[in-house]
Amino acid sequence: MFPTPIQRTSAPSRIGYQVFLPVAMIIWLLPLIAIFMTSVRGLKDINSGNIFGWPTEFKLIENYIAVFEASPALMYLMNSFYITIPTVIVAVSLACLAGYGLSIYRFRLALPLFFLFVAGNFVPFQILMVPVRDFSVRTGLYDTIQGQVLFHAAFQTGFCTLFMRNFIKALPQELIEAARVEGVSELKIFWYVVIPLMRPAIAALAVLIFTFVWNDFFWATVLTQGETAKPITAGVRALNGQFVANWHLVSAASLLAAVPPVAMFFLMQRHFIAGLTLGAVK
Amino acid sequence: MHPALQGLITIIVGVGGCVGYYYLSNQFLDKVLFPARGANAGRNINRANMIRPWLFLAPALFALGLYLAYPVVETLRLSLTDRDAGGAFVGGANYAQMFAEPKFWEAMRNNMLWLIIVPAMSTAFGLLAAQLTDRLAWGNIAKSLIFMPMAISFVGAAVIWKLVYDTRPIEQDQIGILNAILLSLGAEEPRTWLTIPFWNNFFLMAVLIWIQTGFAMVILSAALRGIPEETVEAAIVDGANPFQIFFRIKIPQIAGTIVVVWTTITIVVLKVFDIVFAMTNGQWETQVLANYMYDKLFRANDWGVGSAAAMIIMLLVTPILVWNVYNARKEMK
Repeated sequence: MFPTPIQRTSAPSRIGYQVFLPVAMIIWLLPLIAIFMTSVRGLKDINSGNIFGWPTEFKLIENYIAVFEASPALMYLMNSFYITIPTVIVAVSLACLAGYGLSIYRFRLALPLFFLFVAGNFVPFQILMVPVRDFSVRTGLYDTIQGQVLFHAAFQTGFCTLFMRNFIKALPQELIEAARVEGVSELKIFWYVVIPLMRPAIAALAVLIFTFVWNDFFWATVLTQGETAKPITAGVRALNGQFVANWHLVSAASLLAAVPPVAMFFLMQRHFIAGLTLGAVK
Repeated sequence: MHPALQGLITIIVGVGGCVGYYYLSNQFLDKVLFPARGANAGRNINRANMIRPWLFLAPALFALGLYLAYPVVETLRLSLTDRDAGGAFVGGANYAQMFAEPKFWEAMRNNMLWLIIVPAMSTAFGLLAAQLTDRLAWGNIAKSLIFMPMAISFVGAAVIWKLVYDTRPIEQDQIGILNAILLSLGAEEPRTWLTIPFWNNFFLMAVLIWIQTGFAMVILSAALRGIPEETVEAAIVDGANPFQIFFRIKIPQIAGTIVVVWTTITIVVLKVFDIVFAMTNGQWETQVLANYMYDKLFRANDWGVGSAAAMIIMLLVTPILVWNVYNARKEMK
């Protein structure tokens, strides 16, 4: 059987694995461990340089409460949810439609359109910055949550459509043809045949887009100005300035911002990885 | 209005709009425009089927056009005009001004460094991690942990790494991990890592490598699993050592996936902005193109040069874009 389980290999390589790997893992995760440990310390520990030792006092709850009390972190967090969730729903449903149209029907422009989507996927977002900002200001969408939702949804639709198109293309086409022969309307084919088959792709894409949009920082700084529409990523940077020397609060705030996507990742790991693999390899 | 309510309304309008549009437009096509009955029933069905794909595609195309195609053209126009002079056409003046700036060439140099090092290191680490965890009982847990940084935002990661590189005045106790380690190893004084010219670029790159390694690992680990076992078994029977198996048998078989991972990370690197913006903001010779552009647009308020910088990024992405379209085409045939 291959790969040979490590338990059945020679002693030196086994010890090498057992010692080297955990050490490498700890070094890899050291920044995360450090930031977590810092977020549970009190100010006294930090100022006395106790960063590797055991905290003299645990301030986990106090620190996190302090973040919420000293800053609009709660509002930033809620903004992130208000931006991310509608974006995911709109982008994924648009992509289901467009991916279906692009993969099932044969028409002359199907191929050029597909290339357009491939190309659109690679356009650097910087090139869009000025016109999109101008457009937002002109239409009154600047510095609003709706403006960000609209933009993110439109921007992500390109990638989502490509993703869905590749997925539907790989489905057994006989199913759809059989339904057509039976005289089922296109509407019902899409709803009762294609959508149920697309469930895994929808889940994978939703998880992926959730993290993409949640973690966006560039558009958050370009499309917002004040505090009211800022998502948590932009908020973390603002808090970073506000809490300057208070590393325990900065740490707590940046961990707070990472909790939803990381939780999402651990809960939906299978879908997340399936999505990345599908999106990258095709 | 309460923002939660606004969010809810956005969802309802968005999804309701999609479903409603889809249903009504199909009904209109089948029942009103080309009804499948009467003398021309057969021809009408054909006509309706020619139009139908466009119904599915229209919303996505509209979104893509509004937020993708139009801005690209508009940026090209802005890069050739002077906004202060009322949008007058100035030809290549913005580009000439940009090429004369040392800061631009610094950004170009740094971008090239990022472009070579980050994809190479991420792919190499990812491959190593994929190979090492492949044979472990707790390999999946190890993979999840290595992958975790991928779920964290670039800004969040930048803040986390700021703690790693943090420096305090010499008379105080250090809280930055790197300095604490350095001092415990017997060094005399702490270093201000992010201000050491040239090398600070590598400290910033470490953040992106840290994030992207997980991505490379996941994709490459799936590819490693896909290698036919017979090829490896045959090599073992022929007496190949583990290194030969890895480099001569496995690597050639996943070369295609390595290229995909490499280019995907390259694209990410070309657009890198958050990390530099949040950690050094391009000071101490760490400027990169994306941050240079942001600087020009929002601090110097020079729209022409900023747009010109954006066009340079676009130009750098274009070979990868063309190559991908070309590949997609080859796949079709």
